[in-house]
Parts: sequence; structure tokens; C-alpha cells
Amino acid sequence: MLTQEILGRDAYLLTIELKLFWTIAALYVTAVPLFLLFTFTRLKSIGNLARGILTGAATLHIILVIFRTFEGGRAPFQTLYESLSWFACSAAVTFLIVSRKWKDFRLPGAFVATLCAGACFYALFGRDPAVEPLSPPLQSYWFESHVFLAFTSYAVFIVSCSIEASCLILRPFLKRGMIIADGFTEESIRRYRRTSFNLVTFGFPLLTFCVFSGAAWANEAWGRYWSWDPKETWSLITWSVFTIYLHAYGIRKWRGNVASYINILGFFCMMMTFLGVNWLAKILGIPSLHLYSV
Amino acid sequence: MIIVKKIYLWLSSLRGSIYVLGLLCVFFLLGTVFPQGRDIALYEERGGAFLPLVKLLDLLNIFNSVWFLSLSFIFFLCLLFCAIRRYGIVSNKEKGLPKNIKPRYSLRTCWGVGEANEEAFQVIEKTLNFKRIGQNDGWVILQKGLYYKWLTWLYHAAIIACFPGLLLSGFFMTEGILTLEAGKETEIKSMMGDETLGWLVSPDHPLPSFTIILDEFLTEYVEFPELIYPDDKRSRFAIALGWKDLEYELKENSLFPKDWLSRLRLIRGGETVAEKTIEVNHPLKFESYSFYQLAYTQTLNLRINNSKELIEVDTGRRAQEIAGLNSKVKVGTLRTGTLFKLNGTKVKISPFLMMKEVITDAEGKVTTREEQKLELGKSIIIDGDKIELIDFQEKSMLSYRYDPGVPLLWVFGSLVFLIMALRCFGRWYMLAYKIEVKDGKTLLLLSVKSKGLLADPEWLKDKITRIINA
Ligand code: HEM
Repeated sequence: MLTQEILGRDAYLLTIELKLFWTIAALYVTAVPLFLLFTFTRLKSIGNLARGILTGAATLHIILVIFRTFEGGRAPFQTLYESLSWFACSAAVTFLIVSRKWKDFRLPGAFVATLCAGACFYALFGRDPAVEPLSPPLQSYWFESHVFLAFTSYAVFIVSCSIEASCLILRPFLKRGMIIADGFTEESIRRYRRTSFNLVTFGFPLLTFCVFSGAAWANEAWGRYWSWDPKETWSLITWSVFTIYLHAYGIRKWRGNVASYINILGFFCMMMTFLGVNWLAKILGIPSLHLYSV
Repeated sequence: MIIVKKIYLWLSSLRGSIYVLGLLCVFFLLGTVFPQGRDIALYEERGGAFLPLVKLLDLLNIFNSVWFLSLSFIFFLCLLFCAIRRYGIVSNKEKGLPKNIKPRYSLRTCWGVGEANEEAFQVIEKTLNFKRIGQNDGWVILQKGLYYKWLTWLYHAAIIACFPGLLLSGFFMTEGILTLEAGKETEIKSMMGDETLGWLVSPDHPLPSFTIILDEFLTEYVEFPELIYPDDKRSRFAIALGWKDLEYELKENSLFPKDWLSRLRLIRGGETVAEKTIEVNHPLKFESYSFYQLAYTQTLNLRINNSKELIEVDTGRRAQEIAGLNSKVKVGTLRTGTLFKLNGTKVKISPFLMMKEVITDAEGKVTTREEQKLELGKSIIIDGDKIELIDFQEKSMLSYRYDPGVPLLWVFGSLVFLIMALRCFGRWYMLAYKIEVKDGKTLLLLSVKSKGLLADPEWLKDKITRIINA
């Protein structure tokens, strides 16, 4: 193929990709008010519609990720544009899997869909969608597993946090007898919190692997398994906060709201590791070896 | 004694570990806010707002500060005491047996009273492979799967076992950076690095010396077309609606580094003891040393306005002043080596770089003129000055490291992950059963406790029900 033909083909493929991505972002946005509306109206049709739209968005998003993989000829999480897309996709899919049997608890869907929409719009408005080749430090067998598992654990933590936040919001209403419908009770809150704990139990070993494989990778690439780089340090903070959460859950008195707040704190630390640390490093002028992903 | 016991109990408690780990997190956080390794004098000079605190807590070198190291030691004690205390609990089989068991499921069977115990034994112990571990109030207690308390204990113990690895790294690790020129020999005569804690053990602990030679340094590029993508949000949205087109453009300098490689030889006593072409992620390992491809430097020999003397200039992103030039210039990376083209072919790059004039106006606003391509042996004119590229040198930057802590850390780190994964993803059941006869019917009472994400008491109950009914 001639170079000009290749360039034309790539531009055409990217245009299709962007159109699909905008559609997905719009679907995520549409799902948010519907999930909220269900929480206040308890109309089953609205709840099902919200879930249906999110399912549609997630399905298209999986197609988009596969499409991008073919476009780039590699795993699609090198640039921040790609990572944001993958972040949203994995969060939406995880939420749909975890909540497949929930009939009366849709508020977490509003959180997840908001986050997905936010990530998509940030990618679409703020980042360059060009397909980049892999830079030498990323050409490692650790690349796929490290990043894939990091985002899988992130997705699980997002859903876990959205459950905790929803429980914290709904509990006062429940106490005043305002939202007791379809069997949504104190007991179900305890059950949902248990689900949230199970999610962290699932994500924690993955996060452990990420910290470990990140160190192994750094050792292979730079000869130093740990250099207290801001991104490394924030991943350690996130890991420690989730360790604290798992231990707090083991203390009967802390199992309720205290553990919930720690879980939510873990989510914020995770967001710092993913995005905030890049801004922090830029604002404070701290050099970071991971800044290539900005 | 009571105080010692209280401290031991607090440190080995879940609450204690939470507080200590929480405090460690605060230190981690401070380490990402205050730039590490910077000079405190510079901080003071720039009017650092938290100077007293920075001095007190050694915030610019926080991860080597007494505070942080002491807290890490306390955390280590937490883990150690916790493991010691819980070893007794985990290994005591009697304590692990449940008391005051309440039935969770009551299954109707068609078994006769006399045969019920034997039938239950067949189903639960023979078919489902549960192992009997005791009896209590007429309940038979069994378990299946790896006992979760042992797994939890084991991976906590493996975390403890990582600490010696960290200590070995801290005391004996030595590292450095080498800048190698092709063909020249460099001797590696390693001592304990000054920045390490090596002085605690021995201030001069020489490792066997050898010589390293860089035979060749190579760079490889791929063609990386530039996407013409609008900056403003509206135009980006317009692309989604099909109102604007996207375009890729292949410019002179549309290159992306594919790889940089150094062909290395290690020589000891006149003999080659190791050789390898290293690249990022593929170091050369020899004895306890590892040599890593870090980066490279480039120096250009320029002739300005036909002068006899050549001027040495480093490439880089910053605008720089060059003797003999009227304006400041940005000197781009010199492209040389192999180019992998989009159409699948491979060519040798005729060395070139992009250069542009940088203009600072009276108000200090910085702008640049259009880039020009400067090829080896050719010249360009910038602001009336003639610049000729006569020659260039590339040097390979390697980092090398000797770290005896790494193998220990890999072994125990992997164990932590593997055992933790078994504990979290695996399944473990404790099942208690009892036969009860009510209204002439034989009931199988079950009590189930489970751990691990794959364990599901409902599934187990359904399975037992299915077997009984079959
Ligand atoms: C970085 C260090 C640590 C990590 C990564 C860690 C990790 C974990 C995880 C993931 C769990 C939940 C899963 C399970 O029960 O096996 C857990 C539970 C537990 N940890 Fe740790 N832990 C750490 C330090 C400690 C320390 C210092 C103590 C000492 C008090 C401790 C005591 C326990 C206990 C007793 C449990 C069981 C809690 C329960 O039964 O609910 N851990 N740990």
C-alpha cells in the first residue's frame, strides 16, 4: 500500500472511531438522569430503560475498544485518551455484571454512568486521539498485564465506591421511612455493603499484582524497582488505603459507615493515582518518570 | 510488664495496624507534595512557606528520614507481633471449631432413621469430599478447601519476609550512571554508593572490577504521521457530526523512537566475559550487576558563518544561545540510524535535525519561526547567520546497579501475591450437619460457613439437595 493510501485509511478509521465514541458518551450521559429518576420514582420501566441504555453504551464501548486494538495493532491503553476510554468501558461492564440481579438499587448506576461520561468527554475534548506507536519503555511483556489488571481493579473499586456512596446517601432516607420500597431495607444495605467488600476483596489482589509488576517492570527498564516517583507513591497510598479498608471491615464496630468512608477515600486515592498525580507533578514541578502518559 | 504487654497487644491488633498504616500514608502523601532530593537551601531561597516543618520532618528527603524509617519499623513490628499472636490462634484446632451451631438449612430426605447417618456420610464425606475435623453437640463438623486462616497468616508472614530484602537493598545496593562513547573503555570499580546506608556495614566494600566497552550505539525510528486535529472543542465536536474531516500528515520530522540499542562487551583480565546488545527493558546481567539502557546524548559540531573553529552544541528541547549567532535557537534531536517506514520498508536515515529560531519580544513573550531541516554536511540560514552541520557524536547513557535484595523480594513478593490470590479468589467451606427426625420425616440440618469469592453456600446447599433427591 502507498503511504498516502495508508494515511487516508487511518484518518477514515479514526473518524469512524470518534463518531462511535461520541455516541457512547451521549448514551452514558442519558443514563445518568434515568438512574436518578428511578431512585425517586421507583418506576420499574425507568429503571429498566436506564440499565438498557447503559448496556447499549457498554456493548458499543467494547466494540470500540476492539476496533481501536485493530487500528493500533496493540493493546489500546498507551495514551491517556486510550486509558480514559478503557477506564470507562471496564467500569460500565463491571457495574452491569455486578448489578445484574439488582431490581431496586439503581443509584450506583448514576455514579458509574457519570464517571464513564466524564472520562469519555475528557478524552474527546481534552486529548489527542492519534494512534501512537509504543515508546521503548512501554515495549515490555509487563505492559499488557500491568495496565489491564490495574484498570480491572480500578473498575471494581469504582463500582464498590458507588455502592458505598449510595448506601450512605440512602440510609438516612430509609431511617425516616422515606424509601422503603421493593424490600429495600437495612438488611439489604448490609448485603450491598457485603457486595462492596467482596468487590474490594476481588480487586485487592489485582492491585497488589499491579504494584508488584510495576516494580518488576521498573527494575527491568530502569534498574530500580522503587524510586518514590509520585505515581508509584500514589499507587502505594491507594493500596494502603484499601488494606486499611479490608482491616476496618474486620472490626465489627467499623463495618458500617467507617468502612464505607475509607472505601470512598480509597476511590479518591485511586483517581489521584490515575489522573491527579500528573496534574500534581505538573503544578508542583515534580519530575515524574510516568509523565509520558499525560 | 503490663505496659509491654499492652504495647504488644495494641501493635498486634487490627486497630493498631490501621493507625500505623494510616500514618505511613500521611508520609507517602507528603513525599509526593514536597519534591524529593532537592536542596533545602534552594527551598529556603525560593521562600519555602513550610521551612520549619520541612527541616523538622526532613520533608525533602522524607523516605530516608528518621521519622519515616522509625514508623516503617513500627509497622514491621505490627506485622511481626500480629503473626506471632495469630499463629497460636490459627494452629489451635479446638479453637477453630464452631460452638452453639444453628442450622442454616433444613433439607427433607427420604432416608430411614437407621440409615440416615450413613447416607449423610456417603453424600458429604464420600461424594463431596469434605474432611471431618470434629464434633460438637451432635453436629458433625467438616471442612473443604485450603483453610483460609492459614492462607491469611501465610501471606502476612510472606510480607514480613520481604523486609530482609528491603534491608539488603538499603544496605548493600549500589548504582550509578555511565555515559559511554563508542570504542572507549570504562572501568567499573564499584564501591558502596554514598546515598545508600552502606556506610553502616562497611564504608569500602569493593566488588570485583571489570571493563565495559560500547562497540556500537544504534537508534531506530518509525514513521509517525501527525494528526491534524483541532484544538477547540467545537471543531472536535464537528468531526463527530461529520462537518469536518480528519487528516494525517507525514512531515519531515514525523518520526517516533522505536528503539535505542547499545552493543556492549564486558572484559575482565583481557577476556570478554559477557556481551549483549541491550535496549530499554532488556538489560545486560553479569554476576550481581545489571546494565540498563537509560538514554543517550548527542553533541553536534557546527560551523557558524564559515568560521574556522567548530562549535560543540548539545541537542535538546530548550532554546539555547550559540556563540556567533544573533538569535537563540532550539536544536532538535538529531535523527540518524534506521527508519521503519509506514509502507513496510526499511531505510538508513541520512542524519538531520530540525532547528528553529526563538524570538523573545520586549514584553518577554516567546515565539518561534518555522523549523528548518539541517542535514549532515549541509547548511541553513537563521536570522542571517549560516549554520553548517559538520559532524556529530552520540553517547549512550546506561545505569548500572548491584542489588542483592532483589531475588528475595521477588520470591516473597510473588508468594504474597499468590497466597493472597488463593485466599481471596479460592473457596473454603466449613460445614456442620446433624440428622433430626421430626413428624416421622428425616431431616438433614446444615450449617455452612464459607470464605473466598468462589465459595457459595447456596450453591452447596442446592448441590446436596440434588444429590439427596437423586
Ligand atoms: C501491608 C500490610 C498488610 C496487607 C497488605 C494486609 C492485607 C490483608 C488483607 C487483604 C486482608 C483481607 C483478606 C483476609 O482476611 O485474608 C487482611 C486481613 C487481616 N489482616 Fe492484614 N494486611 C497487612 C498488615 C496487617 C497487619 C500489620 C496486621 C496485624 C494486626 C494484619 C492482620 C490481619 C488480620 C487479623 C486479618 C483478618 C481480618 C478478619 O478476620 O476479618 N494485617 N489483611
